[in-house]
Amino acid sequence: MLRESSQRSEEAVQLADVTQGLSEQTKVRQADILMNYAEAVVRGSSDDIATARDAVHRVMGGEALIDAAATIAAFHGFVRIADAIGIPYKTAAAGGDVPEIREQVGVNQFHRVQNDDD
Amino acid sequence: METPQHHPHQAGNGASSLDACKVPIRDDLRQSHAQAWAAIAKPGTWLTGARRLAVAAEIRQARHCRFCAQLRDSLSPNLKGEHESLGALAPAEVELIHRVVSDPGRLSEPWTQSILAMGLSEGEYVEIVGIIALVMIMDAFTRAIGVPEQPLPQPVAGEPSRYRPPGARKDACWLPIVEPVDAVEADGFMYPSPKAGYIYRGLSLVPESLRNYWALANIHYLPGQVIYQFDKSIRAISRPQTEILAARVSALHQCAY
Repeated sequence: MLRESSQRSEEAVQLADVTQGLSEQTKVRQADILMNYAEAVVRGSSDDIATARDAVHRVMGGEALIDAAATIAAFHGFVRIADAIGIPYKTAAAGGDVPEIREQVGVNQFHRVQNDDD
Repeated sequence: METPQHHPHQAGNGASSLDACKVPIRDDLRQSHAQAWAAIAKPGTWLTGARRLAVAAEIRQARHCRFCAQLRDSLSPNLKGEHESLGALAPAEVELIHRVVSDPGRLSEPWTQSILAMGLSEGEYVEIVGIIALVMIMDAFTRAIGVPEQPLPQPVAGEPSRYRPPGARKDACWLPIVEPVDAVEADGFMYPSPKAGYIYRGLSLVPESLRNYWALANIHYLPGQVIYQFDKSIRAISRPQTEILAARVSALHQCAY
């Protein structure tokens, strides 16, 4: 999804940044403050979240803040369904899983891939 | 620009905790939260309303469980120990809830089978996972925008429907699912398209859970009809911005899907 959307928008994405943190190769607008917000919500303190939220609000505005928060929240659900039901990861991206991209992103290092035969 | 401010939230007064956010929140988001909490409080397919709310309470408890914190930090997910639970649910339910909340990226099929062997039915397992997904979305959203968690509603009395789709079978996933071609009218609406992806089929053993989940998830992320329109955004953030958030959150959870 990220690869497709970046290709259409011509905003370059370094796919490994998804697992390794943001690099200068990723040119998605405001990627730095959005990634910081996502990281804070997943594993930060309430102070971390507040700081990250303020940055999104200040730079991108209230509507963008709400839609960013909603997207972050949505993926707290998707990941739990996929992982608790055991959905085969090779069916991701509407069946368009590409092993080379999994390797490039770093997904092949995840526990599920390392310990699964699907 | 003014930062969002919070108002004290009074539990139990019927108000939404989302009212505490000074940044305007889309009406469809507000409605989706209200509908999801109402759905959680009602009798489900295998669980009563009271048990569904006990699950919701245990989901929140899991975030404070010291054993879960140890698990997350452990090199192996096979650590032995005891969850700090509220005591209202059976050990199989507590283990399911705490692991899925705290360490979802390291679940396995043998672990799933161990939960079922402890006495939980496949339907109960899937219904609980559906509640986890709903509560995690709503609580992550309130945490993200800096408002209090919504107080749990009162349970609605009544009996679970105990409906199991006749077309459900275990094949692609660790639990049975209903492939689009196997869905029957009695299942109710399930798939917007016969090509619906596996993430869409995940909760299909409990069709009501599937419907409740997607009613909430579509409003937070993107509805199915626009997901593959990559050059279009219906949100106030661009599609690449949406997807970089999605990918980063998934990666932080070690989700390979």
